[in-house]
Amino acid sequence: MATLSLKGINKSFGSVDVIRDLSLDVNNGEFIVFVGPSGCGKSTLLRMIAGLETLTDGAISIGDKRVDHLPPANRGIAMVFQSYALYPHKDVRGNLGFALKHAGIEKQEIDKRVNNASEILGLSEMMERKPRELSGGQRQRVAIGRAIVREPDVFLFDEPLSNLDAALRVHMRIEILKLHQRLRNTMVYVTHDQIEAMTLADRIVVLRDGRVEQVGTPLELYKKPVNTFVAAFIGSPAMNFLQANVQDSSVNLEGESICTLNAKDGPVQLGVRPEHLVVSDNGPFKGSVSVFEHLGGESFVHLALADEQSLVAKLDGEYIFNPGDECSLAIKAEHCHVFDSAGRNITE
Amino acid sequence: MANTERPTHRRPIRWYILVFLAPATLIYTIFAIYPILESLRLSLFQANENGATFEGLANYARLIQEPYWAEQFWNAFKNNVLLFLMHMLIQNPIALALAALLSVPTLKGAAVYRTILFLPTLLSVVVVGFIWQLILSPLWGVTPAFMNFLGVGSFFKPWLGLESSALVTVTLISIWQYVGIPLMLFYAALLNVPEETIEAARIDGLNGWWIFWKVKLPLILPSLGLVGILTYIGNFTASFDLIYSIQGGLAGPDYSTDVMGTFLFRTFFGFQAQLGDVYMGATVASALFFIILIGVALYLFGVQRRLQRYES
Amino acid sequence: MLITQRLSSAGIHAVLIAYSLLALFPLALIVINSFKSKKAIFRDPTGLPLGDNFSSKGYDSVLNNSDFPLYFGNSLTVTCVSLVLILLLGAMAAHALSEYRFPGDSLIGLYLILGIMVPIRLGTVALLQLIVDLGLANTLTALILVYTAQGLPIAIFIFTEFLRSVSKEIKDSARIDGLSEYRIFFEVVIPLVRPVIATVAVFSMIPIWNDLWFPLILSPGEETRTVTLGVQQFIGQYTVNWGAVLAALSVAILPVLVMYIIFSKQLIRGITAGAVKG
Repeated sequence: MATLSLKGINKSFGSVDVIRDLSLDVNNGEFIVFVGPSGCGKSTLLRMIAGLETLTDGAISIGDKRVDHLPPANRGIAMVFQSYALYPHKDVRGNLGFALKHAGIEKQEIDKRVNNASEILGLSEMMERKPRELSGGQRQRVAIGRAIVREPDVFLFDEPLSNLDAALRVHMRIEILKLHQRLRNTMVYVTHDQIEAMTLADRIVVLRDGRVEQVGTPLELYKKPVNTFVAAFIGSPAMNFLQANVQDSSVNLEGESICTLNAKDGPVQLGVRPEHLVVSDNGPFKGSVSVFEHLGGESFVHLALADEQSLVAKLDGEYIFNPGDECSLAIKAEHCHVFDSAGRNITE
Repeated sequence: MANTERPTHRRPIRWYILVFLAPATLIYTIFAIYPILESLRLSLFQANENGATFEGLANYARLIQEPYWAEQFWNAFKNNVLLFLMHMLIQNPIALALAALLSVPTLKGAAVYRTILFLPTLLSVVVVGFIWQLILSPLWGVTPAFMNFLGVGSFFKPWLGLESSALVTVTLISIWQYVGIPLMLFYAALLNVPEETIEAARIDGLNGWWIFWKVKLPLILPSLGLVGILTYIGNFTASFDLIYSIQGGLAGPDYSTDVMGTFLFRTFFGFQAQLGDVYMGATVASALFFIILIGVALYLFGVQRRLQRYES
Repeated sequence: MLITQRLSSAGIHAVLIAYSLLALFPLALIVINSFKSKKAIFRDPTGLPLGDNFSSKGYDSVLNNSDFPLYFGNSLTVTCVSLVLILLLGAMAAHALSEYRFPGDSLIGLYLILGIMVPIRLGTVALLQLIVDLGLANTLTALILVYTAQGLPIAIFIFTEFLRSVSKEIKDSARIDGLSEYRIFFEVVIPLVRPVIATVAVFSMIPIWNDLWFPLILSPGEETRTVTLGVQQFIGQYTVNWGAVLAALSVAILPVLVMYIIFSKQLIRGITAGAVKG
């Protein structure tokens, strides 16, 4: 149990800056998720916390102890890898106990911790099996178990669900959530999947090009994204961005007023989430349907607006459109996001 | 607990990389690379009363011009080229045909055939050489008896002892032994042709024979290039063992089976009245080095690059 | 349709069986006749070594009246020690090349596999001088060092290709478990490369066991003769004693045959996998 603090972290490989002046404080017991597109530096950051990469500059502390000069094994962390990273020549029991045995912990204590972890994860039936005899989900469980037995201060997860198929991914996500509720450890989790981030995190850190774009709870990020990058990254399907104009404190699209905004006249970007659009006879978003996808309970309508912009709306399953149909949509003013030309959120 | 150590963020020197790399690099450098470079250097010297003097490329000039050397050199070179061509024209087509048969998906017992066909490759060339020497020997009479049985007994000749047929016979023995290597390379490449591509060809109306010519063969072209260069290198270096063990260092009869390897051996160690010459030996070896280098360069920059276009 | 398929399948088997016989017949002929009396060898070359025909005189003169046991021991020593060195040093170098980034890493990698294309034999002239200068002429050590140098490039190539395909995370995981870089090599990497060790071993072993060139040049002395050189010299001396010649050839074939039967699966898998990559 411990806090984790990152201060002024920099990392460059040659002339390429991967992490630029990054600072972050993680609370005790918090589940924090680093999310961002590939190449944003999230995995490098995690590996620096683990001690697998050196820092170019900055400081990392776990609890009160500065750890950035310590080897990985002495930092009080455990890590779960994307490829599970199990030792193929050891059975499940051997994999779970390996780190403890290496650390010279007594056999009795090892057995106790290994059995405990295998019970938590439902591995008791397969303790003598080799990794190749396990399914993907079971391997991931062993990998998590190997982290649990070390009783670390901080758990690190590096895209642990990326190698699983869709159904299993949902299942393991819930298992990890349960595990956090049970152990209450500080956990740092890296993913490129915003759904994993939204469902797991106490707080999400959105990274781009080695910089923090925004830190906040999932709802804060969803409701108040600081810029178009975060707005587009969080939420599925992604937010629509439309070219609009501000005139006399009103945001206008093709002459129709969508919402009010106290700003200078000029072009802005209007951000509209698909799920906030509703069908309305006199709605301001008018166009013809280009593609219509029905998923049963809900449907997606792709609209070509008059000024050649396009828009996706998520509707109830009761609507049915055909390509070419006319359709008009509306949105409540409080659901509108407005971004300036630099992409910053200027919604009031 | 206060932190007294100042982290420097500088990675300590990673000695373990050196520990992992040094032993292999040292042994390899001392016993493989250095001797080759030193041979190249020695080829520029000639022996005289006070040791050796630097003569530039004089040795190479002697090798290809001075009658005594040139005759042997060009003879050995010609034989090597013949050896190479015969392997390319006989060994590799046989290997390709066998590989094509082996890779028929419905074939039962492919693993057994594979094991048997590759077996001769593993034997010592010395052993293979002697086995065939005995079998073809008129003394034992196995071959004449077998040929009589087939009704062609009158055609038997001591092929290894005749100037006109010795090189061809040695080549056929070498092919008997080494057909397994190109066979395996072709076989692997053929297995690697995606099943979907073949099914697509079948749907396009091609039958088995045309699928092989029009679909599989173009796809395995890169391995044809690889087999070509391996055959080339093997012919210029490994051919020594077979010829030395069947025909001896003089590569008889009357040098008709002499190759660069046996020529190098005689030059370096001497034979009969002729004394060995370290510097000419180094020159022959270096000439061989450049011949192989040219082949490898042609392969890497020409053949392989062109063939790779088919890969995607 | 079915009938033509059957016919073509029969044709394929006919061709393959014919070629298999061609590959096996000469070997069988030698081994069978090595167990026969001299008379039987000439009178009835294709007969089985039964009854009157049987004679183990050939083996007697090879195993008891010659130095073959010694040659055998020499070959075994040279092959085994070289093999251990090739596997260990090759795996170490491959691990360094595949795991760590350091200045000049790809250059060293290229340098180390250069030897695949350039046969070490071309340096024989200088190599013999070097071996003489080091006082290693006519020693098994000379052969071991040369064969190790000869076998390293292909071993490093195969190991590096394989290790690059193995997840790096498992080594990171071991680092988090607190293993030193050396222990990671011995406790994680060695078990990881186990599947290709057999391939590399057979690949390296065969040319060493069968080589004639280096034993002939570096260690031709009676005490350090290998089986291959021994056979070559032995046959040169005993051309009249056919039984002994055939027995000597059989003795030289046997260990390779046994190794092949044990490892043929790995070897062929290794060749095919390597070819797919190359």
